[in-house]
Amino acid sequence: MTTLDVGAAVLGRSASRAWLGRRLAVLAPARATVLRRSLPSTAMFAVTAVLLGARALPVADGELVLAGLATAFLGTLVARVVARPTAVGDPALAVPLIHLGAVALLSAGTGSVAVLFLVLGPVLALAATPGRRGVLVAAVGTGAVLLVPTLLASSPVSPDTLTGALLLGPLTVGLGGLAVNERARRLGGQAAEIGRLEAERALLLTQVQTRADELDLATRMLAARAQTMTSVIDAVTEQSIIGTDRDGVIRVWNPGAEKMLGLPRPEVVRKRSILEFHLPEELEAAAEESGSATGLAALVHAAQEHGSDVRDWTYVAADGQPRTVSVAITPRSDDQGTHAGWNFVGTDMTEARATERMKDQFVSLISHELRTPLTSILGYLELVLDDEDQPLADEQRTYLTTVERNADRLLRLVGDLLFTAQVDAGRFTLEPEDVDLTTVVRAAEETVRVTAGAAGVEVVVDVPENALVVPGDAVRLGQACDNLVSNAVKFTPAGGRVTLSLHAAWQTPDGEMTTEGRPDAAPVARLSVSDTGIGIPTGEQGKLFTRFFRASTAQRNAVPGVGLGLAITKAITTAHGGTLDLVSAEGAGTTFTLTLPRPAA
Amino acid sequence: VDTALPTPADMAAPDTAGIRVLVADDEDDIRNLVSLAVRKAGCHIVGSVADGTAALDLARTELPDLAVLDVSMPGATGLEVCAALRADPATARIGILLLSAGASLEDVAAGLAAGADAYLAKPFQVSGLVHQVRALTARQPA
Repeated sequence: MTTLDVGAAVLGRSASRAWLGRRLAVLAPARATVLRRSLPSTAMFAVTAVLLGARALPVADGELVLAGLATAFLGTLVARVVARPTAVGDPALAVPLIHLGAVALLSAGTGSVAVLFLVLGPVLALAATPGRRGVLVAAVGTGAVLLVPTLLASSPVSPDTLTGALLLGPLTVGLGGLAVNERARRLGGQAAEIGRLEAERALLLTQVQTRADELDLATRMLAARAQTMTSVIDAVTEQSIIGTDRDGVIRVWNPGAEKMLGLPRPEVVRKRSILEFHLPEELEAAAEESGSATGLAALVHAAQEHGSDVRDWTYVAADGQPRTVSVAITPRSDDQGTHAGWNFVGTDMTEARATERMKDQFVSLISHELRTPLTSILGYLELVLDDEDQPLADEQRTYLTTVERNADRLLRLVGDLLFTAQVDAGRFTLEPEDVDLTTVVRAAEETVRVTAGAAGVEVVVDVPENALVVPGDAVRLGQACDNLVSNAVKFTPAGGRVTLSLHAAWQTPDGEMTTEGRPDAAPVARLSVSDTGIGIPTGEQGKLFTRFFRASTAQRNAVPGVGLGLAITKAITTAHGGTLDLVSAEGAGTTFTLTLPRPAA
Repeated sequence: VDTALPTPADMAAPDTAGIRVLVADDEDDIRNLVSLAVRKAGCHIVGSVADGTAALDLARTELPDLAVLDVSMPGATGLEVCAALRADPATARIGILLLSAGASLEDVAAGLAAGADAYLAKPFQVSGLVHQVRALTARQPA
């Protein structure tokens, strides 16, 4: 039997046997061995005692027989009580030696040769102890046992007794003992190997059990996580969550999709393609726009290019009704990171878009309806004011000029409202051209000059001599600059000053401004409008660019306005890729700075 | 309403005497304002109507030199009238000036695409309209 076979056989045994073995081994290994090895001798002594009692064996000397039996009993008692090696000696050797002494006494007491066979028990026990020492002790002991009866009988030692006791006996026992010892050693080795394998197996079993427990836990956690995900997706009833494989075949279809498109999950999953819910015309248009193939490739083209894509698509519901849906498309990967399909998360915008359209129409209607009477007012006023045949008296002219100025103001307001509505609707378009900002700033100063003069506000212009050109919409940039300048004048008390300054600068990636060109900094134009006016409270500065917001200082000082100018200026700035910042201290003044990107030289 | 004696401005202006103009706007006040401006430019009004269909009919019968059309009118819009006039060889050479309360670039582009010669946003300056009418009706010297 090879080691592996032994291992396999051992591993094949039942767990209870292994448990029992381990328990015994743990309790008293040495004592168990000594006691077990003494059992054959004890049994033989018991049989001898019975035979003596039955007179089947002769009794030559009763005292010696009794002493022999007592000694035998003593040996068994020692084996029973003593386990470990003590100061007196090793019980593994001591017990058989005591038993040998008992055999010698019984042999002398009975004078029977048959009793000598009792020597086999202790001899085998000695031979089985680890090492050759036991064999030597057995051989010597056997010789002693053979000599003792003769010595006790005080009769002369015969040569054959000497030969038997000193040569044949020990030699036979020694050689036989060696064979037994070798056998015991091998058995012991095998037993040790079995023990080691048992321990290894127990360890493996524990590891397997631990691993199984871990797997079980992981499986349950995964199941719980999957359940959480499913329940979250199932809880979404107002958004459609649709997952497809790489070919567009639908794999995930949540209640939101059921509600939006009117088809239950079993009728869709693995049965339909996402393309079946799209308008073919839209997909063709998308394909044309992106230059990609038609179908799914067109649908996911932008998401593939940029990682995600959000835009309006028309879904066609089961009842044939088109729905305008804002769809976020993202690619999905499996646990290996391989592209597995696409996710489509959609929000039904049909009503919202219709409302937006209505709002748009409403704003342009209102703006049209307001412009028409203003056209008459301004037109006839012009006729009256410019009539050379019937010149107006100075007073009349002053009154009608006031009417005209206010009609103009009303007209600007209508324009501002329409403009903000266009910004909201995303229909605000720029006419990009090269715009010289020095011209824009000078024009703004010119526009505000009369008003500023009347209000007693000094306007200072600080612009470079050469043109400072940015790409942009001249009309809109003029509007933005006019707004800032007229605001500054409006919010500055008499005797104050408004400074318009324009400079070329460079903006570093962390947002800092330098006046020197640097390779890592982007060239910008900075247009600042500073005043020495009433200022804006710090807490209100964040809301300043919100439509219809008016600072408390503006209201307290009864400065006219509706709160559209800065919102418009901000929108224009943003549309130009620029920023609008302000620094203000209540009572000290305000500086608005418009930063616009300009082309690298 | 014109002055009896020609002003220096009138003398410098192109000769517009006998130029026939059609005015169409659904707003009475604005139609009158436009008519005043047209007369100021020295032109003769051959028709003043309040809807697109009437404007088209009148243009076909009167064959004016210039039609000043409001964009938003009942019947047919100014853009539709404009396109119809351009499509018919008999009326294709009529000068067209569009007026609109919509002032966005898209509106201007749509007007010019429909075949208008010029486009003015409402509210317009009367002097600007006068100038525009004169420019569009100036007779090239023979």
